[in-house]
Amino acid sequence: MNNFIRSIINNSWIELAARWILGLTFIYASFDKILSPADFANIVYGYDLFPHVSINLIAIIIPFLQLIAGLALIGGIYPRSAAIMIVGLLFAFITFLAINLIRGHEFDCGCFSAGQSGYTGSSKVTIIRDILYFVLGIQVILFKGNRRTTFGRLRSQP
Amino acid sequence: MDDGKIIREITMLVGVSVALALVVNYFSPRGIALVGQRNTAKEIISANVAGDETYRIAEIDQVTDAGNIFYEGDTLFVDARSTEDYQSGHIPSAISLPVGQFDEHIESFLKRYPPNQPIVTYSSGRTCEDSHHLARLLADIGFSEVRIFINGFSGWEAEGYPIE
Repeated sequence: MNNFIRSIINNSWIELAARWILGLTFIYASFDKILSPADFANIVYGYDLFPHVSINLIAIIIPFLQLIAGLALIGGIYPRSAAIMIVGLLFAFITFLAINLIRGHEFDCGCFSAGQSGYTGSSKVTIIRDILYFVLGIQVILFKGNRRTTFGRLRSQP
Repeated sequence: MDDGKIIREITMLVGVSVALALVVNYFSPRGIALVGQRNTAKEIISANVAGDETYRIAEIDQVTDAGNIFYEGDTLFVDARSTEDYQSGHIPSAISLPVGQFDEHIESFLKRYPPNQPIVTYSSGRTCEDSHHLARLLADIGFSEVRIFINGFSGWEAEGYPIE
């Protein structure tokens, strides 16, 4: 079993796929928030977890953390560090969602977007989805060996 | 794993993100103030945008006010949430216009309602901005009497108003 897990962790194709899935997801998730920071700030208020003076800064900065980490993952730039950032963000999202789920708070309409109601999901679904992304991020962090580049060639990467 | 290297890389990625975020926010016409300008009475954040006030659409922030408008009967309630949410319960006689599929639905909407039709948009609740998006979209294409019921469906339901 241990060998099986290790072979998955060290599979460079899975690692490449994980980076692309996470990268595209995070870039996509950042897009609407960057375009509508006021709307995202309102959603952050809705979480009712942060001091009010910090809300706007959170709403301004978080989408760019997502964007830069996503681009870095896809581009293979500091992939382990970018994955650590993404896992950290996911850990925070999962925690905040779980706290509000436990508190029974009415939830906002968009995790991906500040205004796409066609994609509404319940908090539970979002938490499960985030946990799956979290696992992908862990694979990228633990991967040892030469990472594949987006164009399929191996390149040396400590 | 070289911890020092990882810390340096993360610092660099975070630094680039923060710098880019502040620069983009500063120059973006939709940028917001660094420290909140929340209108706590309405639980809506106001963007620090020139001309924002002219873009503001009237908000209904009391469920009872929305209830009175509902019982007067002249106003069309428009549900900005997803079709599934609408189908699982909505304000009676409200029509569904999911803001994410606005372009697909707007043509038949325009055929049915004149530009002076009084409209109240709503979404799931105060922390959901879809009702604001929908109101802006409707105002942009010429609807002149649009208001936003910011408490949304959850507020309506919680106050015991009828749903269908």
